[in-house]
Amino acid sequence: MIRDELARLIKHGYKALGELEFAESPAGYRLYHWADRNSLTGARQYCSVKDAREIAKYDSAGAYRPLKGSPNLPRGWVIELATIDELRRALDYFYPGAIAAWVAHRAGEVTPVDLRHTLNRQSGMYRLTRKLTNEQARDLVREACNSESHCLRTILWGIEEGERPDFLPPSKSDPKVDQTGQNRAAIPFICLEACNLLVAKARSTLKRPSE
Amino acid sequence: MPHKRNSALVLVGHGSTLNPDSSAPTFQHADEIARRELFSEIYCAFWKEEPSLREILRMVELDDVYIVPNFISEGYFTEIVIPRELELAGSITRRSGKVIKYCEPVGNDPRMIDLLLHRAKEVAPGVAPEQTSLLIVGHGTHLNEKSAEAARTQASTIRERGFYAEVSAVYMEEPPFIADWRENTSQPNVVVVPFFIADGLHSYQDIPVLLGIESARTAAASQQEVFRRNPRHLDGRSLYYASAIGTDPLMADVILDTIDRFDEKHGYELAA
Repeated sequence: MIRDELARLIKHGYKALGELEFAESPAGYRLYHWADRNSLTGARQYCSVKDAREIAKYDSAGAYRPLKGSPNLPRGWVIELATIDELRRALDYFYPGAIAAWVAHRAGEVTPVDLRHTLNRQSGMYRLTRKLTNEQARDLVREACNSESHCLRTILWGIEEGERPDFLPPSKSDPKVDQTGQNRAAIPFICLEACNLLVAKARSTLKRPSE
Repeated sequence: MPHKRNSALVLVGHGSTLNPDSSAPTFQHADEIARRELFSEIYCAFWKEEPSLREILRMVELDDVYIVPNFISEGYFTEIVIPRELELAGSITRRSGKVIKYCEPVGNDPRMIDLLLHRAKEVAPGVAPEQTSLLIVGHGTHLNEKSAEAARTQASTIRERGFYAEVSAVYMEEPPFIADWRENTSQPNVVVVPFFIADGLHSYQDIPVLLGIESARTAAASQQEVFRRNPRHLDGRSLYYASAIGTDPLMADVILDTIDRFDEKHGYELAA
């Protein structure tokens, strides 16, 4: 079970995921932004899993966060959760499917899907994206997925079938590296396949008039 | 509905990268169904938000999974995108020990007519229906004609009841266009009900511009202080604009009915 795997990770000292950190507390688990770890007394207090969904929805300036892996989670809150099931569900609101992806990958049940495969199966307004060249694809992924400004996931897929993401800095495709740069023992936050946001950006790249 | 403790429910929504309210009704109905403790696992998944359709089945732990598209009609998404992204083989897919049951979109439920009529009455209280044109707005798309057909079917069923002076289906992207409502209606009162799932980009931000009640796209509904006031007086008419039909709290029951209908239709196949 995913919950049991999460419990095992916690037991081995993995108490971070993306920008989040969590700690065992008298009430169960306490979840917060890593940058608030020394200032939790002044943080807004929450106690429901659903609060995670609302906190994850907007950045600190109130802008909508459609990409949950963006390194712009707001700060200044703490959620107290009673059980590991609640912790798992809250983590899934912040980083949907992150734990499940790592568990499945570790068990060898899933293989990363190359970008070409993802683009070639698109239809409708995204059918155009199959025309993205490998060079355009590499430039796009370097820009649109970079951890500093866009997405904290560790990319495990390459551009063409059987390729590794060797066009990226080695740290961006190494699940052991904490993409926030904090060098914490973080649960790997992996990307097994390009998301719809990247596909949409591929379309924009092709729609843009050439300079 | 009897408890389905050995089953998981996945509600699939369109979602949006631009409008934070697009996924709200899908979460709202999932929360209501979770409150009734009918399923052991409930998730929402989206085309344009996370969790995506590609990752959702990894998150589900139970082997019996109902997939309910929180979409207003059959069409491009329910027939092409969702089955492709979830790698479905039809209404029933057996894979890696899982039985994945793909239900009809919620908008197919017979109860949608009552929801539309209720919404139309609610948005224009005290307005005489015999002096009212009712417009059911659909998206309409060249990708699949069924999207327009759903709104057309609803409109013709309501028309047959003879309650409103005039009932038509109109669309954003195909004729008859919602933008031409002035020419296409004859009554002093015009009630417009979006046959949409959410008060998202289309129904909250785009259609008001097409109707002429906003000159440009406003902020999302959740980022405004008040929801729109009715009626708007335009060109000598009173225009009443409702919120999207899919935001009705009764949609949770519509979702459960959709699952019941799946079981009735496919029970024999599943038992085999």
